[in-house]
Amino acid sequence: MSKKISRLVIVGGGTAGWLSAGVIAAEHAISRNTDQEQNNQFQLTLVESPDIKTIGVGEGTWPSMRTTLKKMGLSETDFIRECSASFKQGTEFAGWTTGENDRYTHPFTAPQDYSETNLAPHWQALKEGRPRFDHAVSPQSVLFADSRAPKQITTPEFACSVNYGYHLDAAKFAEFLRKHCVETLGVKHIKANVIAVNSAENGDIASITTDSDGDVEGDLFIDCSGSRALLLGEHYKVPLRSKKQFLFNDTALAAQVPYANPDDPIASCTLSTAQTAGWIWDIGLPSRRGTGHVYSSAHNSEEKATAELLSYIERTAGVQAAADAEPRKINFDPGHRTEFWHKNCVAVGMSAGFIEPLEASALILVELSSTMIAEQLPANREMMDIVAKRFNDKFLYRWDRIIDFLKLHYILNRRQDTYWRDHLDPSTIPDSLQELITLWKYQGPWHRDTNHIDEMFPSASFQYVLYGMNFETQPSTTARRSDRIGREAAADLFQKNAKQRQQLYAAMPTNRELINKINTYGLQKI
Amino acid sequence: MSKYSLLSQSEHAKLRVITERSAAYGDNLMYAMTFPLEFRNIESSYPIFFAKDGESGQFYPLALFGFQRDENLYLKGNTWDASYIPLMVERNPFLIGFQQSPEAENGEKTPVVSIDIESPRVSETKGEALFTESGDPSEYLQKAMQNLQTIHRGHEQNKLFIAALLENDLLEGFNLEVTLNDGSNNRLEGFYTINEEKLAALQPEALGKLHEQGFLQAIYMAVASFSRVTGLIGKKNATLD
Repeated sequence: MSKKISRLVIVGGGTAGWLSAGVIAAEHAISRNTDQEQNNQFQLTLVESPDIKTIGVGEGTWPSMRTTLKKMGLSETDFIRECSASFKQGTEFAGWTTGENDRYTHPFTAPQDYSETNLAPHWQALKEGRPRFDHAVSPQSVLFADSRAPKQITTPEFACSVNYGYHLDAAKFAEFLRKHCVETLGVKHIKANVIAVNSAENGDIASITTDSDGDVEGDLFIDCSGSRALLLGEHYKVPLRSKKQFLFNDTALAAQVPYANPDDPIASCTLSTAQTAGWIWDIGLPSRRGTGHVYSSAHNSEEKATAELLSYIERTAGVQAAADAEPRKINFDPGHRTEFWHKNCVAVGMSAGFIEPLEASALILVELSSTMIAEQLPANREMMDIVAKRFNDKFLYRWDRIIDFLKLHYILNRRQDTYWRDHLDPSTIPDSLQELITLWKYQGPWHRDTNHIDEMFPSASFQYVLYGMNFETQPSTTARRSDRIGREAAADLFQKNAKQRQQLYAAMPTNRELINKINTYGLQKI
Repeated sequence: MSKYSLLSQSEHAKLRVITERSAAYGDNLMYAMTFPLEFRNIESSYPIFFAKDGESGQFYPLALFGFQRDENLYLKGNTWDASYIPLMVERNPFLIGFQQSPEAENGEKTPVVSIDIESPRVSETKGEALFTESGDPSEYLQKAMQNLQTIHRGHEQNKLFIAALLENDLLEGFNLEVTLNDGSNNRLEGFYTINEEKLAALQPEALGKLHEQGFLQAIYMAVASFSRVTGLIGKKNATLD
């Protein structure tokens, strides 16, 4: 009879380890019975090194995180208070098209009436003096200039007036999750270093040996040990498939930046500003900003990249902030493992792969991975190989889509620097993206032509990037019924959008006001 | 707009307050905050629901007077057609405020009475005098100050009452669709009421605690008050004739 899968062991803490623990524990009732004779009970153990520091850069989430936290039984009020969290409504891209004061946003709401009407061609048909695409089709971006919030103090926890994810302090978030996992969800926490990985006869991992807590046996091992990938990479030698040929960035210089005054505005979006050979992220938390320069070491020196970051900090926070900044360097190899689930070991987080945080893909991948493990947890060892194959297929597909979508941000630029011109070289563009960009010249993206029902990036996201960067889709060459109907609907929808923008702006508090109120009063659950 | 000024005999000796009920004096309210200590009186005439304060998101109980903004179906000309007027309506144009007093221990604040001198109720010629000839508070003012003290207790009571309701998960949002005699629709949204299913499922321990706190009766009065909605609909229909 095939061995039942009931003992899960997560190796590694940080946001990947504790988020995975929380998602899986929330789905499966964990036995609090510590009697080791109870073979039938589901057990989840997380082994975390007390010495190894977590990476601490994963600071933006997608809107899915609200559902993830809710499912775990967490309070949004507690989360906001304890994780220095603020609201992320999308990303704003500055300088990516020409480098001369160009700007567009990718907000978290789809264009008006997106399920029925494709506004993009009708927006393109508007000529002189037309509003920016994101302004014309969605109300959300009206909130960005004045740092307004996506909801009010009277909106219940996790609900929204417009869609949002979070900006958060990753170290505080990991600790917040750890406490909940251990105190409420029944996760067992072992603080020890892994010194050996012990194999079973069939090549599975039977147990890991720790330096202070003996051996930990398991049926399924989840590798959340970061880029070291202790289990999948070191033990099983599953290689990394580099994507540097497509996305050149391989270094990040991260620095924290203070606010000049405690009531300075908290930004509504992640700000991404193009540089000579990369880009700078700028994330606003209530207590401080987090900035980082992501660049290609082949195109830029550390010295010059540091200077660019300090110059950005000086421009946006003043001379003192730049003088005090202590940039921390992180090297990474952009890419992912050739497979994620091997035998009875599955990698989640940086152990599975890493790519520049241009669209905050790191935490969403952890959510998606741990959710799939939780929902499709194999009942027994026989089933595991089938689930593993499905997992690998799905996440290899998803990584390809991430590479395509991130590269899309680069291939429409008209900047002069070598780095930016290199991004236009067809040999650096994946075939899949090349096909799409050719198709989109004549047939813009819309929801009806996505392959999977659970695509990571909805087609609306592609629209925001394409039309934000002034891409032109040719109007159809024949007169179409759908175009005529669309034209009539479009005029009304543009008007409706303009009205909604006004109403939204008037109704929403600033992020700072709302966070202060949440600290004082909390959000209601209903 | 309101302008609250600390009530003082020297400044306000000549002032009077018009006590008539009328839209001209701001009685055209859709609802007013209420408190468990007056639920018994409220329940006989008005539905009791709950709403969130716009500034803080915190819940408070209210007595409902109409189905849309500025609609008070109990107000007919100069008559308020009910046997009991809620404290928060009666107290106008007064307000209880808190002042840091140098004599007070521990920086305790002392309650003081304020008056909205820009209220249309405030007059030098008509209505109830605030002070007697000899400068003492009039009977009317004394009663008004008593009301304010009761309201102050009511606010404190509300905090505990709401906390108990939330702890027991007894509040739920609801929408009310009302079809009137002329076929038109009125929709009441954004209000909350007692979740009777959850109330019925409360365990003895929770029920006992609510009873000890004095809240059990208030909860059932709120539940009973729902039947006042019928009367309110009747009043609305009467306006269509």
